[in-house]
Amino acid sequence: MNRTLARLITYGFLAVMVVFNLVPFFWMLSTSLKTGPEAYAIPPTWWPLNPTLYEGYGKVLLWTNFPRYFLNSLVVSLGAALLSTAVGALAGYGFSRFFFRGRTFLIGVLLASQMLPGVLLVGPYFKMLARIGLYNSYLGLIAAFTTLTLPFSAWMLKGFVDTVPHELDEAALIDGCCRRQAFLRVVLPLITPGMVATLIFAFLLAWGDLLWVLCLTSTDSMATVTLGLSRLVTQFRVLWPQLMAGSVIAVFPPMILYLILQKYLVQGLTGGAVKG
Amino acid sequence: MNAVPLTKSKGRGCLGRRGSPPSSLHRRHTRQGLAFILPCFVLLGLVLGFPMVVAFVNSFTPLWSRGLSGFTIDYYRRLLQDPIFLNSLVRTVYFVGATVALHLVLGLGMALVLNSAIRARRLFRIVALLPWTVPDVVAGLVWGWMYDPLSGILNDALLRLGVIASPIEWLATPSLVMPSVILADVWRGYPFVMLVLLAGLQAIPKEEYEAAKVDGANAFQEFFHVTLPHLGRMIAIATILDVIWQARRFGLIWVMTEGGPARSTEILSVLAYRQYFKFFNFEYASAMAVVLALILVVVGLPYVRAVARRA
Repeated sequence: MNRTLARLITYGFLAVMVVFNLVPFFWMLSTSLKTGPEAYAIPPTWWPLNPTLYEGYGKVLLWTNFPRYFLNSLVVSLGAALLSTAVGALAGYGFSRFFFRGRTFLIGVLLASQMLPGVLLVGPYFKMLARIGLYNSYLGLIAAFTTLTLPFSAWMLKGFVDTVPHELDEAALIDGCCRRQAFLRVVLPLITPGMVATLIFAFLLAWGDLLWVLCLTSTDSMATVTLGLSRLVTQFRVLWPQLMAGSVIAVFPPMILYLILQKYLVQGLTGGAVKG
Repeated sequence: MNAVPLTKSKGRGCLGRRGSPPSSLHRRHTRQGLAFILPCFVLLGLVLGFPMVVAFVNSFTPLWSRGLSGFTIDYYRRLLQDPIFLNSLVRTVYFVGATVALHLVLGLGMALVLNSAIRARRLFRIVALLPWTVPDVVAGLVWGWMYDPLSGILNDALLRLGVIASPIEWLATPSLVMPSVILADVWRGYPFVMLVLLAGLQAIPKEEYEAAKVDGANAFQEFFHVTLPHLGRMIAIATILDVIWQARRFGLIWVMTEGGPARSTEILSVLAYRQYFKFFNFEYASAMAVVLALILVVVGLPYVRAVARRA
């Protein structure tokens, strides 16, 4: 009796949550396959009457700047992710292998820098980039995104270096390697999966941002996917099939990447407080 | 043999002990370690530290003005008397408090379900995680469209079920807009908490449950005396990280309401953005952002201390 009740509650809760989780995806996909007039039907149709790829996907890819937004997102997110993964790997090794004075403090600084809100920094960025001619440029955006990705990457990579037994670099040092070689030839190859995971998470962190791009770009040709989509909404006539098609395209790459890498994520974000 | 200490257990023994005279070995070790972390901190100082200082200075005086004569705390004084700012602060606390609380409740519930013996656990785990993979801007767009009064799926479903008699303007009614935005955010945000708590649950030793069973504990006693105490640390970490992320939330609210109607969803990040980039009150906006940053650093400090000491 008691067990039946427990199972009932468990499956009931699960059913409610599955519906809650999936309805927005259903609505996004459904709308992206509708024609413009059908999307505005009152009452709405749940399944598209005449599913069409052209009205949503075709038009957003052919008639709007969306491919350009996609390219911009790719360039700036990848730029910030590569930069912070490379620099982060060095820092991760330093923090993992050396116990110098001030180490705890510097790790604290690294962690605390993740607490700073973007709105604190966008203002100065706007003014400084305008001064040095990097406003509305890839380089400016990459620098801005590095504020998001670098602390995260360095911290996550320290966790990955921690998993490599220190006896390995000791052996390399005894064999006559210098520190640089021990890092490059011994440790780096072993943390390659971790670096890929870090790279992808940093990429996704930058991919989802709106605030920085909103503040640091002025032309449509520099907009990213998130900014492009948000601009399509504020236009006075919203074309929902196109917008939802764009959303599906914007969601697809992160979704696949997150699902592949979810097991690293908990470790990376909680500082290895649990081993997942 | 091992000339250079490499691990914490060994390292603490021969260096870093306060007061001990620095040996040449220690100095070399420190130098090498610093060399590895240097690029990271130079870059961090450049892209993050410097702008942070500029923002701080800007909250006292217009930028690039000569001398210190322009320094004033008037902007902060104004903040204390500005009902728009104070209301926004209260609204931010409401938004963050409500979203984090709901993330925790749903996250814990879902983690417990996924940790129990159910069918197709892996599949449900993926379904549970899906919303978190959506950028918050896109989540805002999709939910905004679901809330559409006439062509949205939510009113249609509620009308068909007979819950409501006429369409509701979810995002245009000041009393409903904040709960509506919160619901959209909860959808996107709770899976992260779920993921962290699930990892915590899986780390609880099975023997403890067996021991509780032997002692005749029922399901509730098991939950309160075994599960919750073990999860405490993970709940604390998830809560602090979530509070910080939620207080910085911008994209979701911006695409859903732009802070409206009538400021009813204007949390601090939106207000500061608008003050800076729409009204060009640079100094005043900087003061707001500094206050927000200080609050977040204070909230995050216990997490930073605990994690940095263990690292």
